[in-house]
Amino acid sequence: MQDPLAFVIAIAHIAAALALLNGVTTTFGQAKIAAQALESIARQPEAEDSIRTTMFVGLALSETSGIYGLLIAIIMLFANPLVTILINHLG
Amino acid sequence: MGLEIDNLWSIEIAGQEFWITETIVNTWFIMLLLIVVAIITRIKLRKFKRVPTGFQNAIEAVVEIFDNFVKNTLGEKLSYVAPWFFMVFMFLLWSALLSVFGLRAPTADWATTFAFAFVSLILMFYMGVKHQKGNYLKTFFEPHFIFFPMNLIGELAKPVSLSFRLFGNMLSGTIILTLYYALTPVFIQFGIPSLLHAFFDVIIGALQTYIFVILSLMYVKTAAD
Repeated sequence: MQDPLAFVIAIAHIAAALALLNGVTTTFGQAKIAAQALESIARQPEAEDSIRTTMFVGLALSETSGIYGLLIAIIMLFANPLVTILINHLG
Repeated sequence: MGLEIDNLWSIEIAGQEFWITETIVNTWFIMLLLIVVAIITRIKLRKFKRVPTGFQNAIEAVVEIFDNFVKNTLGEKLSYVAPWFFMVFMFLLWSALLSVFGLRAPTADWATTFAFAFVSLILMFYMGVKHQKGNYLKTFFEPHFIFFPMNLIGELAKPVSLSFRLFGNMLSGTIILTLYYALTPVFIQFGIPSLLHAFFDVIIGALQTYIFVILSLMYVKTAAD
C-alpha cells in the first residue's frame, strides 16, 4: 500500500465488477418468466394478449435488481464519494 | 455523445447560477417536434372527413390504438387519463429515438425520468383520493396504524424504482455506444453501429417506454379501484 488513492480506486473497480455479477441471477429469473409465459401461451393461445402484458410487467419488475447493480457500478466508477473524501483527506 | 452531460451555457438569475445542459436543449428539441406535429394535425383536421383517408387515417389509428390499450388496462371509467399517458409515451419514445441521430437522449439523465415518475406518483395520489375518497387514505393504515411509515415508504419507492429502471436502461445503451465509438478504428464505425443503435435505442427504448407507461397505469389502477 504505497499509494492509498490507487488502492481505493482499485477496490472501487473490483466492487463495480462484483455489483454487476447480479446480472447472472437477474437473467435466470427473467428466463424463468419468459419460459413460463411461453408454456402458458402454448396451452392457451387465446389468452396471449393478457399473458404478454403480464409477462412484460414481470420482466420489468425482476429487471429492477439488475438495473440497481448497474447504477451502483456506475456510481463506483464515475461518481465515487469515497475517492473525493480521500482526496480531501490527503490534501 | 459521451458519458458526461455537457453544460452548454450557464446563466445567472438573482445571484443563482442555472445550467442549460445538453439534456434541457434536447428536451426542447423534442418538445418543438411534438408541438409542430400537433399543430400540423390541428390544421389538417380543419377539413374533417367522416371516412378518414391518408394523414387523418394514420393519426386516428395511432390515437385509437393507444386509447384501446389504456381502456383495456384501466377499464372504461378511468380511461380519461389516456391523453396524458399518450404524451408521456410519445415523449419517451422520441427521446429514445433521438440517440439514433447521435444526440444524447434526455432520458439518459435521471432528472428527466424522475420528473416523469414523480408526476405519475402525484397522479396516483390524486386518482386514489378522487375515486376512493377516504378509503384510499385508509389503505395507508392497513392492517394497523403502526404500519403507516412502511406503507408510505412503499408508495414513495415506486417513482424511484420506476425512474431508475428507464434511466439505467437508456444510460447503459449510451455507455456501450460511447465505448464502441471511442475504442474502435474509424473504418468500422460505418454501418456496424446501426445494429447496436437498432437494439439499444429502438428495441430497448420502445420496450422500456411501454413498460414505464404500463407500470404507471397499473399504479393508477391499484390506487383508484
